[in-house]
Amino acid sequence: MSAQSLEIRRSSASVWGSSSGMRSVPTVAKYIDTSTCIGCKACEVACQEWNDLPPLSTQQVGTYQTMPTLDAGFWNLIRFDEREVEGGLMWLMRKDQCMHCAEPGCLEACPAPGAIVQYANGIVDVNQDNCIGCGYCETGCPFDVPRFSAKTGKMAKCTLCVDRVSVGLEPACIKACPTGCLHFGSKEDMVGLGSLRVDQLKKDGFTTAALYDPQGVGGTGVVTVLAHADHPEWYGLSRDPHVPLGVRFWKKWLRPLGFLAIAAAVVGAFGHHLYHGNKGHLDPGPIGPDETKG
Amino acid sequence: MSKVVRQIGFDEGAYVAREKEDVVVGNEIIRHRLSSRVIHWSVGVSFFACLVTGLPVWTPVFAWMGDLVGGLSVCRVIHPFIGLLFAAASLAMAVQWWGEMKMTKEERGWVGPKLLEYLRDAANHDKIGKYNGGQKVYFYTSKLSALGLLVSGVVLWFPTSFPQLLRVFAILLHDVTFILFAVSLVFHVYLAAVAEPGTLNSMTRGTVSKAWARIHHPKWYRELMGLEK
Repeated sequence: MSAQSLEIRRSSASVWGSSSGMRSVPTVAKYIDTSTCIGCKACEVACQEWNDLPPLSTQQVGTYQTMPTLDAGFWNLIRFDEREVEGGLMWLMRKDQCMHCAEPGCLEACPAPGAIVQYANGIVDVNQDNCIGCGYCETGCPFDVPRFSAKTGKMAKCTLCVDRVSVGLEPACIKACPTGCLHFGSKEDMVGLGSLRVDQLKKDGFTTAALYDPQGVGGTGVVTVLAHADHPEWYGLSRDPHVPLGVRFWKKWLRPLGFLAIAAAVVGAFGHHLYHGNKGHLDPGPIGPDETKG
Repeated sequence: MSKVVRQIGFDEGAYVAREKEDVVVGNEIIRHRLSSRVIHWSVGVSFFACLVTGLPVWTPVFAWMGDLVGGLSVCRVIHPFIGLLFAAASLAMAVQWWGEMKMTKEERGWVGPKLLEYLRDAANHDKIGKYNGGQKVYFYTSKLSALGLLVSGVVLWFPTSFPQLLRVFAILLHDVTFILFAVSLVFHVYLAAVAEPGTLNSMTRGTVSKAWARIHHPKWYRELMGLEK
């Protein structure tokens, strides 16, 4: 759903967004501290409730995880991973959801004008009115987030509660979190909060702690504190996420060059006709049995 | 073929062309029998429909084409089905023409300099049979493209059933084969419908004039006229 009160910074398959630049809107971000998450799943419930998403059947995957992966009707999933680290057991929990990349691969790959928008505050949203359900966004996403809904024939994912944020409320998941491992605010503030927490963790002996804000996608609208940031894959995060090179090459080079090649062929054919005229406009001469030359 | 009463205005060429090709009828030569023409236009029309429903998804420059069929989401639904028709018609065409498209060593030169020579009207046509090297190259190009478009198209049709890397590859393959096909199609249409008068008739009524055959396909002409030793 498009929130008309928000200016659009970028829009899929469009040259420009609608941002006039008149308003100075801070980029917002969600802060997730995996080290203080207790896996209560209050955020999962709050997300389903606020977004009116009906409950889905849970699937046993061998852990406390609700289901194996995100779904068109389930945008916020706590992933449970058990790891043995230095003889002890680490129970790693991460809130999996749309990362709201500063340079979103979904938006880059999307062929439908205005189907994926990035609002001036950085929130990346699927505009259901324009989505054609082709699934290209899932191909372009470095975090495997957008999901196809067979019910609507369109794609769906976390909206970062843009409807709440646009009227000054925090996202539903943040509101529900009982431990304070989730916060919401300007990107600047959230990165600051993250650095503080990372320092704390380092003092506590987690020497490899760091804030996950991958620059390969221009940074994300969801910054995550990882106690073991040297192994983001333990949390189901990729080490250096970026928009698939093939998608980038397709949009930036192959498509425009292909367009030019076809246009050049048309111009070339026209030019050929102007210069050479008809081919085979020769007088064939008499046609008879003595004919040998063409 | 049953005998028909010849009346004034009877189009014998078109009548013979229903079932036969490579035969001389009066001053005309039957070049493409009806079945070949039906297959050709099935490919042509289905590809055109693919174009109208595919270009707006390719780039918004062609968004207006999507509006012609009811919008982009309609394109997304019907394009794959029309694509299947195109693939089926292309398969029929491959079967129908395969035997006539064997390339000689000499004709392989058409991939490069010979094509330019031909476009500059500098080529020696003397040894050209029913199809010249360029037409054969175009035949293989279009059939390979159809195969590439089909394979990648199936992946794009059901994106969530395939791994991400394969989907990226499918997008690229669909584009490369389309561009390759589109560029060669421009010349196919130009040469057949514009630059070589009398050619289009071979795909509509099925016939060409003797003069046309002698200019463009002299070896084929000589064979049909019994002039080839």
